[in-house]
This record gives sequence, C-alpha cells and structure tokens, in this order.
Amino acid sequence: MARTKSRTRLSPVSHILAWAYGLLLVIPLYFLVISSFKDNTEIFSEPFALPRSWLPDNFVAAWETAVLGPGLLNSALITGGAELVSILVAVPAAFAIARSTGVLSALTERFFAAGLLIPAFAALVPTMLLAIAVGLFQTREFLVLFLAASVMPLSVLLLTQFMRTIPPELEESASMDGAGTGRILMSIYAPLTMPGIATVLILNFLTFWNEYLFTLSLLGPDVTLRTSQVALPGLVSQGYTEYGILLAGCLITMVPVYLVYILLQRHVEGALLQGAIKS
Amino acid sequence: MNVSSTSLAPGRVRARARSGRRGRRSAVLLFALPALVLYTVFTIGPMASVFVVSTREWTSIISPSSFVGLANYKRMLADDVFWQACINTLIQLAAIIPVMLPLSFMLAYYLTRKPAGHQVLRVILFTPALISLAAKSMIFLAIFAPSGLFNAVLSAVGLADFELPWLADPHTALVTVIAVELWGGIGYTAVLFAARLGSIDPEVFEAAQLDGAGHLRQIWQIAYPIARDYFGVLTMLEFVGVLFSSAGTILLLTRGGPGYASTTLSYLVYSKAFLTFQIGYSQAVGVVLFVLGVLGIVVIRRAFRTES
Repeated sequence: MARTKSRTRLSPVSHILAWAYGLLLVIPLYFLVISSFKDNTEIFSEPFALPRSWLPDNFVAAWETAVLGPGLLNSALITGGAELVSILVAVPAAFAIARSTGVLSALTERFFAAGLLIPAFAALVPTMLLAIAVGLFQTREFLVLFLAASVMPLSVLLLTQFMRTIPPELEESASMDGAGTGRILMSIYAPLTMPGIATVLILNFLTFWNEYLFTLSLLGPDVTLRTSQVALPGLVSQGYTEYGILLAGCLITMVPVYLVYILLQRHVEGALLQGAIKS
Repeated sequence: MNVSSTSLAPGRVRARARSGRRGRRSAVLLFALPALVLYTVFTIGPMASVFVVSTREWTSIISPSSFVGLANYKRMLADDVFWQACINTLIQLAAIIPVMLPLSFMLAYYLTRKPAGHQVLRVILFTPALISLAAKSMIFLAIFAPSGLFNAVLSAVGLADFELPWLADPHTALVTVIAVELWGGIGYTAVLFAARLGSIDPEVFEAAQLDGAGHLRQIWQIAYPIARDYFGVLTMLEFVGVLFSSAGTILLLTRGGPGYASTTLSYLVYSKAFLTFQIGYSQAVGVVLFVLGVLGIVVIRRAFRTES
C-alpha cells in the first residue's frame, strides 16, 4: 500500500484487499445456502454451481434427523426465560447505580466492569458442579439462571449509561408528588430507558440463542431438553456425513437470528457496537 | 478493572457521582442486590472455586470428591499433552493477535474514509457476528472436508497437489482452526475500530494530507496514537477471548486431534472434565489459564498505557 499520488483517494491495492476479504466472508455463506439444496456428489463435483433443484428435501431430513422442532422450542424457551430474568434483574441494578452516590455505588459499578473481562468459560466446570450440587443439573431452569447471570456485567453497565442521561429534575418533581423509589423506577426510568432496554435485549438474544458449550455441558444431549444449537452437530456422523442436510440444519437454526436482523438491522448493529465499545 | 474508564468519559461520570445532587440515597442500592447475588452465585463463585476444585479428585462426576493437594498439578506438569497444549495455545495467540488487530485497524481506517460501497462492506463484515459457534463450525467442517469446497478450489486453480484433509492432518489441523477463528474476527473487530475512528475529527486527517502524509502514515502515526487506548482494550478482550474460548470451536472441528495436534489449554480444560472425567486435573489447567490471562492483561495494559 504505497502512498497514493492523489491526496484523498485510497490506493487500488487497499480496495482490492478490503473487497477480497469481503468476498472471503461471503463465499462460505453462499456455499452454505446453495449446498443446503444439494447432495454430497453435487456439493463436491460442482461446489459453486447453483443447485439442480430447489427441493426442500434436505431441510425436511435435517428437521427430522436432528429433531429440530423440539430443539427450536427449547431454544426459544431458554432464550425467552433468560431474557426475562436478565432484564428484570439488570434494570433495577442499573437504576440503583445510576441514581445513588457514594463508595458502594462506585464499587458495584467497578465490580461489574471487572466482570466484563472475565470469560464465562473459566467457570464452566465448577458451574456444572454447582448445578449437580443444587439438584438442577440438566434442567432448563438452571441454564436460564446461569445465562442471565453471565450477561449481567454488560447489561447492567449499558443500562446504567442510558439511565445517567435522564435528567434528575424529572425524578425530583416525581418524588415531590410523593412517588416512592419503586414507582420512580417503573414510571420514569424504565420507560425512558426503552432504547437501552431494546439494545440489551437484542444483544442478549444473540448470546442466548447462539450459546453452545455451556448449553451442551449443563443441559446434556437429551433430545427433549437440548437446544437447536446442541442438536445441530448431531447431523455429523462418524461414518458418512450428508453435508447438504447438515447445512440445511444450519440454515434452519439461523432463521430466527436473521429474521431479527432483517427486521431490526440498524438496532442490531447499534447493539453490537455499543456492547463492544462500552466495554 | 479500568476498562470502562479507558474507553468512556470517566470525568463526566465521576463528576456527576460526586456532585451529590441525588445524595444520601444509598438505600436505593438494594435494587442492585438481585443482580449482584445472581452474578456472584453463578459466575464469581464458580470462578473462585476453580482453585479449590483443582486440589480435589473425583472418581465419577456424581460421587463425592477427596482432597489430593497438589497431585493434580504434579500430574499436569508431567503430562506431555499439557505441554503440547501450552505450545498450541502460544501458536494460536501468536498467530491471531498480531494479525487480527493491525489488519482490523487498517480495514477500519479504510471504512472511515468512506470509499464507494463502504456501507455494503460494513454489512458484510458484520454478518459473521450473527452466526453461532455451532453453525460456523459446521459450515467450515463442510468447507475443509477432504472433498470439500477448499480442496475443490485448490484443484480448480491447478493446485491439486496441495489437497489435504485439512482438519484431519496433524500438520494443518491447528492452522485450520486458527483460520476459522480469524475468518470473521478481523471484520467484526474492524467495524468496532471504525466506530472509534469515526469519532476523530476529519480535519486531523486533512491536515496530515496537506503535509503529504500517505495513508499508511495516517493510520499508524495519526489514527493509532489517538485510538491507542481503545486498541489496548480490544487487544485485551481479543487476548482473553482467544486464550479461553477456543474449546467450543475445537470440540466441533477436530476434537483436539488428530492425536493432540490441535489441543489447546482451553480445549484441555473441557476434554479433561467432560470426556475423561478428570475434573481436578481439568481445573489445574484452568488455574494455569487464569494465571496466563491475568499476566497477559497486565502486560497488555502496560504496553498500551499512554505516557502522561
């Protein structure tokens, strides 16, 4: 990337490199979509060609073999449960930090800030031992509580940022009207923090829906409990894997995420950015 | 611990906290109690008990454990697999961190110059962040299969001699796993950097251009010093992520094999606990990961500390 003669233009090399990388990101996705309509012979002999037929056979086979119906239902239950718990717990916590002053409040904020650096994976094995000890191993309830806990640092800190932008005058006039702390949270802070709550919900949706390793370890491979993410690799067989069926299964599990993305594109990108920048 | 204050505007936040306009209301902190309890019970507690677990041994996952002192550590240090996992982890860190961060930063600079199509490129760079670990791994399982897409491309361009079972060959398994981790990571990190670079006053770059600075100089002598703090934060997050989080990808792509060719410390923690049920040993490795993580964070913070 030598210096360009023109002052404002980027060199052709930089365009080529940037778009080559873009292409590198798109090709696997193109391969994913077209291969999900092919059988192995067709995938391997004509990897880039459009499928000869667009019959949904692979999708039906993936749905049945990996038992994706119950899997998607479990994913939805766990994601929904964890979203509910995390918001119900994180909103009051953010409210408390944004609103109170003093050492304890600063310490609480620092506690969550430090948590951002701690990877959940570090605690995988003791978390499983905890689940066994409290008799909730291989239950959806434990996973819901664990997942909600794992997103606390980011959720609380993001919501705190949003709540700090609410002018204190609003609250002062409300408390003069005799509103208690709980009512101030519910009738002033929560509604005004809706954009922040939406951001956190989107961010956590991606985390919960896409989670794999903890879900596998804490919930086990039981067909009636496992999520779609855990069910998906079941389509790989030791002997002969039908890649078309496997990739069709991938697409099925990706549908909810892409639906959310298409409906809320701006918000999803904003949420991911805020999630990373505020950390 | 200071991560938040490096990237935010700490002055404003603190000033407000100190202003005491809302003072004498520490009772409201009770509202934070459920979150603190939830986080402590499910994350901090288990994390702290890694150290305890590493001094105990289980005969099976549901039977009671017994104290064995440092026996797990002795076993670990005498185990060739542990040392191979250390080397693999170092390779992984050395291959990802110095490649991903500078490339992402340059790509971010490219995006902030707003060339034609930059919005489309941004969307493309974002999409891998939406794909789950399981789906991503399955896609690459198909791509790197012996008669998969990658080998098909090789033979199409006349490099059929280089066709390999990429994930099953001991010489390429680890490299292939690393490539999968780099694949989407560069783009996602670039979009994050772009958000930071976008907040730099464009006049700064215009002035540099008038002085005849080329793009490479603008990237590393102007944009980088301004965004240095954020560069440090992302380096730290990326380091911790790579160090700890490869277990899932490796489990799905290679199961640490062939042999132990792609076993990293992160995967060793998982496989010892869940595949061979040596829980105490697994957590001794967990302690090593923890120490490496803390050391790395300290070093990275030092390296990116701005002289002031």
